[in-house]
Amino acid sequence: MRAKWRIIILIMVSLITTIGTYYNEALYDKPIAKIVHTKITAQEEVHDRGGNKDTIYEQQMEAIVLNGTAKNTRVTLTNEFSESGAFDTSYRNNQRVFIAFDDDSETTAHIVNQKRDYAIVLLGWLFIATLLIVGTKKGLLALISFSCNITVLLIGLELYSRFDHLSLLIVSAVIVLLFTLISLLFVNGCNAKTYTAVIATLIGTGTTMAIAFVVMLLTKENGLHYEEMQFLTRPYQTVFLAGLLIGSLGAVMDVAITLASSLFALQERNPKMTLIELKKSGRVIGQDIMGTITNILFFAYVSGAIPMLLLYFKNGLPFGYTLSMNLSLEIARALVGGIGVVLTIPITIHVSLWFMTRRQVSA
Amino acid sequence: MNMLVVLAIILLILMYQVGGKNGIRSFISLFLNFIVVLVVVFFMLDTNTNILILTLVAVVLISSINLFYINGMNQKTLTAFAATLLTISILLTLIYVVSQQMAIHGFSEEETEELVPYSLYIGVDFLQVSAAVIVLTTIGAIVDVAISITSSMHEFFEQNHKMTKQQLYQSGVAIGRDILGTDTNTLFFAFFGGYLGLLIWFKDLSYSFGEIVNAKVFGAEMVTIFCSGIGIALIIPIAAALSSVTLQVKHKKSKPSL
Repeated sequence: MRAKWRIIILIMVSLITTIGTYYNEALYDKPIAKIVHTKITAQEEVHDRGGNKDTIYEQQMEAIVLNGTAKNTRVTLTNEFSESGAFDTSYRNNQRVFIAFDDDSETTAHIVNQKRDYAIVLLGWLFIATLLIVGTKKGLLALISFSCNITVLLIGLELYSRFDHLSLLIVSAVIVLLFTLISLLFVNGCNAKTYTAVIATLIGTGTTMAIAFVVMLLTKENGLHYEEMQFLTRPYQTVFLAGLLIGSLGAVMDVAITLASSLFALQERNPKMTLIELKKSGRVIGQDIMGTITNILFFAYVSGAIPMLLLYFKNGLPFGYTLSMNLSLEIARALVGGIGVVLTIPITIHVSLWFMTRRQVSA
Repeated sequence: MNMLVVLAIILLILMYQVGGKNGIRSFISLFLNFIVVLVVVFFMLDTNTNILILTLVAVVLISSINLFYINGMNQKTLTAFAATLLTISILLTLIYVVSQQMAIHGFSEEETEELVPYSLYIGVDFLQVSAAVIVLTTIGAIVDVAISITSSMHEFFEQNHKMTKQQLYQSGVAIGRDILGTDTNTLFFAFFGGYLGLLIWFKDLSYSFGEIVNAKVFGAEMVTIFCSGIGIALIIPIAAALSSVTLQVKHKKSKPSL
């Protein structure tokens, strides 16, 4: 009965917040309009130098302004979009868009951006609901630690952008420490297993970063191409290193906690196991997980480069150049993460054994 | 020397030291996965390809590498394979619809400045590409959850053949819940690491809250985070249910011969 009520409340809250965000035009300063009529006014087939074919459409729309001084007036909007939609999009009736009025005109405008806020809210609720329904208590813990981590990240970046003398690497190191404590202590509680995972994570991440840094120095970053690194307002090297640190952390934590839990569980079930036997089991478990976790990282990093690869290839750029320009950073991230994953296996085994022998001695 | 080569050699040596033959196999699977991604890109270049179907084919190849090559062809991996395919099909549909509604496909306004020298009218359907990218981003984690659940359930059933279908399902879901948190963590931290530059960019260029939540890049990243989380959660009941059925069926089949 209580579970039923919880689900009803969850559905109600998500519906109310989604609908609320859908109709929140009044909160925005920029004019928002609702498209009520659209028609294609022109269409043209284009061929570019590389021999690619595409069709460009011109779309004219009628829309009603929903907020601001021009509220309830009708405007005419024009939009150009291509069949492929590499950087443009077509619009449909009932969509809400941010508009900018054309100079000296109150009846014509162009579209600046689409209103996406309500969709993010709805999808966010779907994410929360799936995690709660499948994961129940564990799902709730994962969600709470996820939101705590985001808060820490945002506060860290806020401090970094406010105070110029703060180094991004130091900020990231503090963030990493907090991430580790939140993610591990919160979900797994305070016990020897968690302490093991925390210590192993910190040693593992530290060693990995040291290796990455030394390799960067020794090879003078030969083969790394920062040119295509996007969204840069700060020195690219620091942003890359800080991203490397945070990016490997999740995988390292995953290995540390999985391995520590298994080892402590094994010892509990069979207290007579010798340290050598435990070490051996730890290796076997480690071998099982190292491949899959490295693959998780690989796909998370490399897939994102696909649109850029397509653009380069379609523009006739050479194979090697395209790969090195667009994949070098992603592959470096995946490789460093992989190194972190593998290194953490023996580290976790040793820290676990150290905790176990200490416990035996004190007992 | 090229830094990536040095890093790859270090990874190979470490994997061999820690994992022996299995370590080498993990390294090779990483390499094979890279080749699959490149092949997928090449097929996408042909404007006649249906990219959504291509994505499913890629998923078949990638899960074959990560399941059959690493763990061998057996009931555990076959069940995990089926569960992965089913989950990805559902996820791909969800992602496609969401991407279409939110128009998060293609390059964002913030990126196009650097793209001036290139022709953007290249005839590739970027809506389908963006759905493919998000699915491929998550595939590693989904396969991981699937194989962890099916192999643990197999282990449980081996220890106790009297387990009912319901009990098996429950044990599978319990294992899934344990890895739900850690796998989402692995993925999300990897994302955060990649988004770091973007977050600083938003701050430095003083984007307002309203601008951030409606921006295409931000939307695309939220869709990636949310959909991969949904995918990881979704495979848990699917893998547990499929595995509980196949374990029981196999057991009943093998009984009369005993």
